[in-house]
Amino acid sequence: MEINPAFFYIFAGLAIAFSLLVVIKKSAIASAFNLVCVFFSFAGIYAMMDAHLIAAIQIIVYAGAVMVLFLFVIMLLNADNAAFDMHPIGRGKRLVSASFVVVMAGMFIWVFKNTTYLGPISNFSNANVEAAGGNTQVLSELMFSEYILPFELTSVLLLAAIIGTIAIAKRKKPAALLNGGSAAKGGNAQ
Amino acid sequence: MEALNTIRPELLTFSREQIVAISPYIWLFGGSVLAIVAAALRVISPKWPVFLITLATLIAGTISSFLLMSNEPMVLFSGKMVADVYANFFNLIFMISAIVTAMASLRYLDDGKIQHPEYYLLLLFSVMGMMLMASSLDLVVLFIALELMSLSVYVLVGFRRTDRRSNEAAMKYFILGGAASAILLYGAALLYGATGSTGIRDMLAFIQKSPEGVSPLFVLGSWLVVIGFLFKVASVPFHMWMPDVYEGAPAPITGFMTTGLKAAAFAAFMRVFVSAGYGAGLAESLRTHLHDILWISAVLTMVVGNVIALTQTNLKRMLAYSSISHTGYLLVGMIAGPLSEQGYAPVALYLVSYAAMNLGAFVILTILAAKDDSGLNLHDMSGLSRRHPWIAFSMAVFMLSMAGIPPTAGFAAKYYLFYSAIQAREVPLVVISVLCSAISVYYYLRVLVYMYMRDPVESPSGQRVSIWAALAVAAMVALTLQIGVLPERMVTAARKAVISL
Repeated sequence: MEINPAFFYIFAGLAIAFSLLVVIKKSAIASAFNLVCVFFSFAGIYAMMDAHLIAAIQIIVYAGAVMVLFLFVIMLLNADNAAFDMHPIGRGKRLVSASFVVVMAGMFIWVFKNTTYLGPISNFSNANVEAAGGNTQVLSELMFSEYILPFELTSVLLLAAIIGTIAIAKRKKPAALLNGGSAAKGGNAQ
Repeated sequence: MEALNTIRPELLTFSREQIVAISPYIWLFGGSVLAIVAAALRVISPKWPVFLITLATLIAGTISSFLLMSNEPMVLFSGKMVADVYANFFNLIFMISAIVTAMASLRYLDDGKIQHPEYYLLLLFSVMGMMLMASSLDLVVLFIALELMSLSVYVLVGFRRTDRRSNEAAMKYFILGGAASAILLYGAALLYGATGSTGIRDMLAFIQKSPEGVSPLFVLGSWLVVIGFLFKVASVPFHMWMPDVYEGAPAPITGFMTTGLKAAAFAAFMRVFVSAGYGAGLAESLRTHLHDILWISAVLTMVVGNVIALTQTNLKRMLAYSSISHTGYLLVGMIAGPLSEQGYAPVALYLVSYAAMNLGAFVILTILAAKDDSGLNLHDMSGLSRRHPWIAFSMAVFMLSMAGIPPTAGFAAKYYLFYSAIQAREVPLVVISVLCSAISVYYYLRVLVYMYMRDPVESPSGQRVSIWAALAVAAMVALTLQIGVLPERMVTAARKAVISL
């Protein structure tokens, strides 16, 4: 399916604008809500590229679950009121970063202009995917066969993240006692 | 274009040989799960079961990796990873540095009242990430393995939660590391866009088949990947995070980071690098690009690292800057690799030697550290030879080795490295490296001067040395001297590893 470029520019422009707002806004809540808009714009782009599953996941996981967690954390820590005491950035630094951004943007534009699109190189063309049972089916089949290693590794990564979170967040005395208590109970039950 | 065939149950079965080939990973993962259960149950005591399981796991993994060194390379998981000599060679580095770190940490964690079982679990997980980084053949796997390693290390850096510097280091490392991962990931995405595959070997095959595949997009992608790696190995100008992080992290973790993490980043770097066309006799423009980036970065890294290290009075910070300069020497080896007949073997040898001497030095710092890693300034070393003669002797060996003085590992490794750079006709580069290494002698020998020629100061850390840490130091001294006196075996192993790449 051919993408209408107008839609692409609308969604991409929205994504960039909201990303800028995420960075510029001083209030954490406002930044978080702008981030939701960024996620929605991305979902729009994914949907246009016929990646409907990714678009749906983007909305459910990012705009839904992750953002709710973000907002909870901001509200629980009362971080919105905590003033981010940003030091005013010097003129020289501003100039350097601005020119760096311009150079980077120019480089990216040059690169993408000068790269001839070779067409879908792998055999994951839309017609092929359609013939094999559609996006979702192909994705899940690949995930549990060819990409089983990265898939399983992701769960190991999550396990490590959970343990890391426990290590950081565990309170010093009371929680240690609590853990010991529940562990002893578990031991008795066995 | 052939039709898609996505249902391939044959990918989910394992032959006996394949299971044998991934046995180090299986050991490690099984051990981690066992250790998690032991940590959760808290039987007997919170530390001993987890510590012993960790140690046993790592030793089992080391032995199986060692035995697999002679096996034929085996591609696993439909080309997502490979178990070859190269991977097993690096697995040995990672697991041995983890063993040493665990042994050094036992008393240290008790002293700091941070003896939590999560420490050992995270250590195991980061080793797993490193091992997978060295053996991955696919950028997706590489990225997940990198994250697995980094995520565990971020937490380990901030493990002294009551210490502000530790928190600051963890935060800094986390944010900058996240940015570097993002750059690497974006580069990987561009490479996928340019070649139609995330597999490292498929990419190589693609550009070999169609030279027009080396488009600006491909070049930009490989640049971004290279920058991501340069950040992880902390080469100038991506080194800003490093001294603070190394100073703030608990001393054993700093040792682990300078050896394991650096070796892992270099292992993956070399794997990607070799296949990104560097030295494969193709894409001349790409080769000169990468050569120039690395050349500038190597020179800056050596000069900046050594010059700033001169002025440091805190040993941990001094070793952090010296670690930057050693990264510079390693980059020299990377540049020379494709042009000399040694290939990348000097880099592998240097990583082993550096791991041995640096781990040893950091175990000693761990032993000497007072509360919150204070008491590691140069004048605290005064008269160490009278308080702890054996520790002073070991430290002297490590310092001499880092300065590159025979008969230590540092000399053998540097000699081999510079020799290969000469062969590659990189004479200016070698001159700069040798000069830098001459500068470094000053700050390494200054430690010796303080230890042997100053009167002792009253130091709070007069306690007994833990037997585990002493064992670790002794092993590292032995390894340093062994590589220094008889480098032949290690050179052969390194060469075999690199050839299998």
